[in-house]
Amino acid sequence: MPNSALAQVSNAALVSAIMLYGFAMLAYACDFLYNRRQTEVAAPVRPARATVNSGVLVGAGAGPDLADHNFGADPADPSELADLSGLTDGHGSGGSGSAGVSSAGRAGAGLAGAGLAGAGASGQPRWPAGPWLRTAFVLTCLGLVVHMGAIVTRGLAEDRVPWGNMYEFISAITCAAVLFLTLAAVKFRAYYMGLFVLLPVVIALAVDVVFIYTPAGAVAPALNSYWIAIHVTGMIIAIGMYIFGAVVTVLYLMASRHERRVAAGQESAVAGIMAQLPSSTKLDQLAYRAILFAFPAWTFAVIAGAIWADHAWGRYWGWDPKETWSFITWVVYAAFLHARATAGWRGRRAAYIQLLGFACLMFNLVGVNLWITGLHSYAGLPH
Amino acid sequence: MTADVADVAQAAAASPEKPRFGPVAWLRWGWRQLTSMRTALVLLFLLALASIPGSVLPQEGIDPAAVTQYYTAHPALAPIVARLSGFDVFGSPWFAAIYLLLFTSLAGCVLPRAFRLAKSSRQPPPKAPRHFHRLPQATSFAAARPAEETLESAAGLLRRRRFRLRTGDGWISAEKGYLHEVGNLLFHIALLGLLGSVALGGLFGYKANKLLVAGNSFANTPTALDVFHPGRLVTATDLQPFSITMTNFSASYITTGTQRGEPSSFNAELRYTAQYGGPARKYDLQVNHPLNVDGVQVFLIGHGYAPVFKVTDGAGQVVFNQPVPFIPVDTTGLTSDGVIKVPDASPQELGFSGQFLPTAYETITGTVASAFPAAELPRVILVGYAGNLGLNSGQPQSIYSLDTAQMHQIDVAPKLLAPGQSMVLPHGLGKLTFTGYRQWASLAITYDPGQMPALISALAALGGLIMSFLVRRRRIFVRAGSDGGGTIVELAGLTRSDAAGGFEAEFAELAVEFERELSGPAGPDLARGDDPPAPTAPQAGSADEVALAQSKGE
Repeated sequence: MPNSALAQVSNAALVSAIMLYGFAMLAYACDFLYNRRQTEVAAPVRPARATVNSGVLVGAGAGPDLADHNFGADPADPSELADLSGLTDGHGSGGSGSAGVSSAGRAGAGLAGAGLAGAGASGQPRWPAGPWLRTAFVLTCLGLVVHMGAIVTRGLAEDRVPWGNMYEFISAITCAAVLFLTLAAVKFRAYYMGLFVLLPVVIALAVDVVFIYTPAGAVAPALNSYWIAIHVTGMIIAIGMYIFGAVVTVLYLMASRHERRVAAGQESAVAGIMAQLPSSTKLDQLAYRAILFAFPAWTFAVIAGAIWADHAWGRYWGWDPKETWSFITWVVYAAFLHARATAGWRGRRAAYIQLLGFACLMFNLVGVNLWITGLHSYAGLPH
Repeated sequence: MTADVADVAQAAAASPEKPRFGPVAWLRWGWRQLTSMRTALVLLFLLALASIPGSVLPQEGIDPAAVTQYYTAHPALAPIVARLSGFDVFGSPWFAAIYLLLFTSLAGCVLPRAFRLAKSSRQPPPKAPRHFHRLPQATSFAAARPAEETLESAAGLLRRRRFRLRTGDGWISAEKGYLHEVGNLLFHIALLGLLGSVALGGLFGYKANKLLVAGNSFANTPTALDVFHPGRLVTATDLQPFSITMTNFSASYITTGTQRGEPSSFNAELRYTAQYGGPARKYDLQVNHPLNVDGVQVFLIGHGYAPVFKVTDGAGQVVFNQPVPFIPVDTTGLTSDGVIKVPDASPQELGFSGQFLPTAYETITGTVASAFPAAELPRVILVGYAGNLGLNSGQPQSIYSLDTAQMHQIDVAPKLLAPGQSMVLPHGLGKLTFTGYRQWASLAITYDPGQMPALISALAALGGLIMSFLVRRRRIFVRAGSDGGGTIVELAGLTRSDAAGGFEAEFAELAVEFERELSGPAGPDLARGDDPPAPTAPQAGSADEVALAQSKGE
């Protein structure tokens, strides 16, 4: 029987996590508003064509003249995407020109390679710059720790893996999304993602707590298997990363639109925010990396689910609505990966395919749980 | 399946030259179209789109009852949906057409690539390009020793990093990372394997269902099974000859809290023999804990109650005395519906339809319902019929429904029976006694020889996927030439499959190592001297210099 004291601790922790995320969002927003220094902070980095002696390469990001060649020679080669070092590149000043050339130029102006490549002794600080950003990041990390605490106490209260119904599942996938946010922030210096990832996370968690809350309790016998730890954990990791990738892709679409408008000499409504974000090329690369991680994780989770289904229901694949939609999701994300490798489908078109895949994923999570009954009806919601 | 852009381009280029297409050219064109990435993308989308109706419409293979329900709810639409295979989407010809085309496209793309990879793995890497500065990664520095010696050391360095080498006059071309393509091919070929495994299961496997009342037995033969779906090439003699007796079935439920009434565990105690006359073994069959006998898996997929009835007819004969499985119609109280057919009764055949209530209570409106799934206060409510059951009409009948077309309702009392109670039928038709109840379990029996191949294929696909994402195929080129007094070493890198990124870092590391190993005491100075401080277009400057150095060297 559930331990109600621990369950209450879990509930309180989740609400605290939401508040911390909210404050973090506020700080991220303040950072966008007040911290103009960021671009300048990034300025003193080495020029792209640092000497070989210093360990950074000549020609890594390439100048504008070579940029075209890079694109022409092998469009699949992301080397022109010099790095993903976020705020450090001079997007705001890098400015105009066609998307390809300007992005390469920007990559050249910024610290090419070092952040992403982690090229040995480049000595670049990976920690957030500026008091607002630092505050925001610390709040995010605190929120994440409290959020994890909420999940762990919930699991202890129930004496089982704490992802047995929709309430717990949403808490877990948002936690995974924030975890990946913090990892990407440090690894690729993508601190700018904070506000944009936390926004859907906070909304989802608020809906989760207010409308979907399910008291702590045991799971149905069908879920009482060690496979829940394997299959559902895999799903959580994959979905957390898919969420991150989708948010980056939305930003990419905004950035690429903004760049096209600027290139065409038109007004851009989002110029203020875009000035603080990296180029569309970098966002695209970051989103792609997210999917490169999420897709195998999803594949693994689906395979684990098939093995479990075989143990529980006597068939590894039975076209249950949930299975069908995870198949559809897999196929659409596979199409995205193939589109990225195909001339003419890269860029915005591929981004739309990725968002379509995400829509399928969300439909599987929400729509199938609420409107379609099947063997996976574990949401714990009244129909 | 990476883009065969070159092929498409070739086809496009070829078309104006040959305005008239012969049949062979058409075939070739068609094959190219089919195996092109664009077609594969379209087919992938079609596959996703075609799966959607399978999740929205009820499917014959998953929930036949829902299909029947759909027929009653939409009598006009249902036949049309059925004609379009809407109730069997994943077995429909159009779904098969999409995935077969997709897999043909995949095979047509992957197999030639596999041959190409096999060929290129036996050949040395291509020659080094003439102009390194055109490559995405390039650098240069001055070396201390003469060109040949420097190249030899460079070759040693690359060999130590397990590059495959090709050397020429003053240059080295090195390649590494064939596992990228291997992983990519493995992934796609494993998908073909997965399809093959599914087909194997479809041809040689079978699925069956059996509703088994506690205390009863059955043998694994087509006639003993309630539902039997054999694969295309399965005959009755292929069935594994085991038999199963369910000695007892128990279910427990949560008794307190908000989840009250939800099941907490099921257990079916079985005795089984793998073959006729073989030793009997015991097994506790539970959810997530199937029985494996002779490669066949037996699963516990459902349960319910089978009230036991005894019917004495007008002639005083006991014409019926057996448990009757009732089918649960609600999950909270496990209220179950069922029918009793007594064709042997005289003077008239008897039929009853009724409900079993595990924990009966009277609602405020005066009806009875069940409050809890366990049999705390079991009751049955029955409606009686007399007349002709229609069993001899030749029309197949479900054992769970009563055809009352040729029957009339009879007045029975009491309508609600507790275990041990009887109802007397009017007009001297006899008597029915509710003697007690047993539980039944429904078992799914599956045999799928494609299961293990499918698992292996799926894991191979996953492994291939990860391998292709992690490994990049890359080439490193080195050129050394004398420049007046010293030796200039140029280094360039190229990758085609740097999906996960990081080639830049690898190249940077390599460049640092090369310089450390190859540059002499004068090297760094010279290198710095080569660096023109031109912040406006730095790369252009250095590229020009490289080109210049090259032309000088040659």
